Amino acid sequence: MTQQPQLNRSKLPLSGRIVMFFIRHIQHAMASMGELWRNPLSSLMTMAVLGVSLSLPAALQVLVKNAETVTASWNSAAEISLFINEGRSERTIQSLITRIETYPEVSDVNYINRDQALEEFQSLSGFGEALAYLDENPLPAVVTVTPSLKYSSPAGARQLLGKLEQEAEVSFGRLDIEWLERLQAVVKLLERTVLAIAALLVLAVVLVIGNTIRLAIMNRRTEIEVMKLVGATEAFIQRPFLYTGIWYGVIGGILAWMIINLLVWYLDGALAELLGLYGSQLQMQALTFTELGQLVALASFLGWLGSYLSVRQHLRAIEPS
Amino acid sequence: MIRFEQVSKVYPGGQKALSDVSFHLQRGEMAFLTGHSGAGKSTLLKLITVIERANAGRVSINGHDIAKIKRSDVPFLRRDIGMIFQNHHLLMDRSVFDNVALPLVIEGFSHNEIKKRVLASLDMVGLYGKERHNPIMLSGGEQQRVGIARAIVNKPPLLLADEPTGNLDPKLSMDILRLFETFNDAGTTVLIATHDLGLIARMKYRTLTLKQGRVLGGEELSSHVNVPAQ
Repeated sequence: MTQQPQLNRSKLPLSGRIVMFFIRHIQHAMASMGELWRNPLSSLMTMAVLGVSLSLPAALQVLVKNAETVTASWNSAAEISLFINEGRSERTIQSLITRIETYPEVSDVNYINRDQALEEFQSLSGFGEALAYLDENPLPAVVTVTPSLKYSSPAGARQLLGKLEQEAEVSFGRLDIEWLERLQAVVKLLERTVLAIAALLVLAVVLVIGNTIRLAIMNRRTEIEVMKLVGATEAFIQRPFLYTGIWYGVIGGILAWMIINLLVWYLDGALAELLGLYGSQLQMQALTFTELGQLVALASFLGWLGSYLSVRQHLRAIEPS
Repeated sequence: MIRFEQVSKVYPGGQKALSDVSFHLQRGEMAFLTGHSGAGKSTLLKLITVIERANAGRVSINGHDIAKIKRSDVPFLRRDIGMIFQNHHLLMDRSVFDNVALPLVIEGFSHNEIKKRVLASLDMVGLYGKERHNPIMLSGGEQQRVGIARAIVNKPPLLLADEPTGNLDPKLSMDILRLFETFNDAGTTVLIATHDLGLIARMKYRTLTLKQGRVLGGEELSSHVNVPAQ
């Protein structure tokens, strides 16, 4: 016996094997679902844990998303004020404005002449009476420039300001972006925190599913032994466990989505009131159906990963004896 | 079908289970494996089913050198071996039908094919009509026959039985042995491990006797084995 004959891997023809492969997958997926259905209490507990664990990163995602829309609307409010040198004629100022309007970085230009500036100052400052005593209008003419969207970031706006200050008519420019920079730093910090917490919770999800699957494997130890004895491959034995993990993820993801939308609904009233005080019309955004899809896809992947890691570790250890 | 060449097996604890065992069971043969408990019967069966691997020597099953079989290929080798256990190894929370169907489900047969084969197999062991029962509702002898039905349902060329008559009375034991004879007549190679010497004495098959891990007279006995024409 020098030559090793090939092991007969299957008694079925290829076409039959391919068809049965899919049928088995569907059967296993359904059977795993049925298994969860039969033990609703214990599986519901696991799913609830997953739902809560997933809802936290998802809630943070909602927070970041809403913070972004808020800061985006503030970003576009960034304005550059250019104070014009004294003694320039209306004509030179008008030509300056036309010049600035052609800048690609600029989306809008407004001109406030000296008289308008005085009027505005009188009505807003409350020093109206005192100003009347002055012989001459002390205020300079102001050109306000709104940068285009691309240049509305602090760095971009600052760059634009430098360019505008090169103009001969401009005495100096002012850009109030310090608060914007601080806000962006806070948002960045928030995003980082969200990412770190999300990573930890995602790890928790994988571990919870891994442990649940480990218990399921232990519970079915004899069955696994028998299956190995009658010639089941490891792929065959692990499949139902992998599907169980995926189902856990799917349902946990849907639960998380529901939790988030409840949370948003609960917070929306309070937030509207707060934003109303700041004169903002923003509405809190919940998770869309696309995001539900993404959440469920991520959760089912995590479910698969958790059960795969568990199955790899524990299924091999079970051997018939 | 089964060939052992100077096979030795020592368990990790240092316990010597088999030493220098050689024998050859031919295709279509039926034989008994006897010996006291602890003589190495179970170890020998475990080597055949690749639950354990030999430390020395060579084991070939159905022309495959076990030592060369990869871990991932072991299931495919086991599909060619019908195994019957003393404690049945049935799944108590599944119906008789599901228990017997297991090897076919694993191999990916279609539902109709599974049904046909399972019922035929149950009919052969005399359990037709009990496929919806749970094994727990059956007697010991009936459970044993469920195990046999499962072992033969995918028509393996080799049948191994570990104390198949262990807990049964002589009448039932004889019935079970007759059943094995019919499989053997159909061309299946059968190896039965048992310590029931009375049973063996009444049948004229070759006997391999293990004593302290060695085969007694294994080769001489093979001269008067009845080997069916191949």
